[in-house]
Amino acid sequence: MTPTPEAGSLRPTRTETHVLDTPAGPVELTVQDRDRTRPYLLLHGGGGVATMTGFAGLLTERTHARVLLPTHPGFAGTPRPEALSSVVGLAKTYVALLDQLGLSDVTVIGNSFGGWLAAEIALLDSPRVSGAVIVNGIGLDVPGHPATDVRGLSPAELSALSWHDPAKAPRPTGTGPGPDVRALLNYTGPAMSDPTLAERLGQVHVPFHVLWGESDGIVDLEYGKAFAAAVPMSTFTPIPRTGHLPQLESPEELLGALLDLGNH
Amino acid sequence: MNTTLAVTRIGHACQLIEFGDTRVLTDPWFTQKATYYPGEPVAATVSELGRIDALVISHEHYDHCDLDALVAGGFDLDTPVIGPGTVAELARQRGFRNVQAIESWESATTGDLTVTATPGKHGVHEVTFVLQAGGRSVFFGGDSLRVPELDEIPARFGQVDLALLPTNGLCLRPLNMRQVVMNAEEAAALTAVLNPVMAIPQHYAFHSGQLGDRMITRGNQDPRHYADAVARLAPQVAVRLVLPGTRVEVPHAALTS
Repeated sequence: MTPTPEAGSLRPTRTETHVLDTPAGPVELTVQDRDRTRPYLLLHGGGGVATMTGFAGLLTERTHARVLLPTHPGFAGTPRPEALSSVVGLAKTYVALLDQLGLSDVTVIGNSFGGWLAAEIALLDSPRVSGAVIVNGIGLDVPGHPATDVRGLSPAELSALSWHDPAKAPRPTGTGPGPDVRALLNYTGPAMSDPTLAERLGQVHVPFHVLWGESDGIVDLEYGKAFAAAVPMSTFTPIPRTGHLPQLESPEELLGALLDLGNH
Repeated sequence: MNTTLAVTRIGHACQLIEFGDTRVLTDPWFTQKATYYPGEPVAATVSELGRIDALVISHEHYDHCDLDALVAGGFDLDTPVIGPGTVAELARQRGFRNVQAIESWESATTGDLTVTATPGKHGVHEVTFVLQAGGRSVFFGGDSLRVPELDEIPARFGQVDLALLPTNGLCLRPLNMRQVVMNAEEAAALTAVLNPVMAIPQHYAFHSGQLGDRMITRGNQDPRHYADAVARLAPQVAVRLVLPGTRVEVPHAALTS
């Protein structure tokens, strides 16, 4: 265990001097900047960052929070070092990002592959991360409820599995926003799950909330319940009439379920 | 009628409604002020809107009638503008050249589109609208209160395909919490009367800033309250809660006798 950080040190008060050009000439202002804005780290799945953009806007505007939405290295043509080739390695990269930005009380939210990643980040015990939300995550081995292998599926087949109402799916535009399977496999390996994850999740020490689109044809509702059951003190909230991508199919319902926590 | 009806919320009550190739923009709002925030990402700038065949505006409040943004964004001032007299006057002042004023139960037409003003009530003079083209029809509720006369719409117009209704029940704190917008429950009761194929709430994400929300306005920002109320009062109506920028095609009404 790393030593406990001193109070206030993760997000210290920064005292800065700004020089402003004003009609009275240059004015030097010394300002203490104290920031406790609530940060969220949003982690996309195999469909790429576009599957999270709309929800990121909704979350930011409605909660007046700071929302970080990274593109996982290797997705959308971004560079990925050869050695960055595991989910845990990527999770450590994101904790390093939070260190570099000097954030604390971060809620990590991930969908699909991003859910697996959020769970791994929770397991790293960073004092900067105060909770994890898994939205139709993958990565777990659940006996009797295997994740559907999406490799080689046509866009129509994928849409039928991913959406409660495929008519709500965005119209495919040319190449379409299909999952970037190759970028995904670089992290997950060909099995696309980790047989050790279920047991390791017993060591999660932060609040852990599992939200699940009930009509998911890739990882079903029982799979979601198993995800929650693996983590002590976790909560589980099903989202009706919603498939694998709640942030796209039911963004208001997903946000509501997130904000309703503790209001019962 | 096989005309495709689609709607894309640009933000707040600003909706891009497509009847086939006819593109109508309602209650434009593209900017922000110290006490007016959309509270959601705005899906398009004025220049990204593309061709607009008619501009339909319910009342002159800034967050519904952002004519300055349209002018600044190079919007075509020959586009027909349809609204109540209060709006028509402002539009002419801003340089719009094709302005038609209509009040309750009066109609204007442009191309295939017929716009009929329907009653409304708000802090200032406001009308609502029924828009019809190609056999499809839309009720646009602006940010009106629910008024009893709106219950006449089905008898006067027949099947409504799409209802766009405000739901935040906005109250004005300096005016003893006077309510100026229908709330989720009232909007759901109106939805049950209109009985559209689909209903989409609008006008709920808006806020007045940190202090403004505590000193000027109080509104319900959660559109699920409307969806829940419709599920109770009119379960046959499909409610879609949509983020700005999501284009939704409205199905045709099922053929019944």
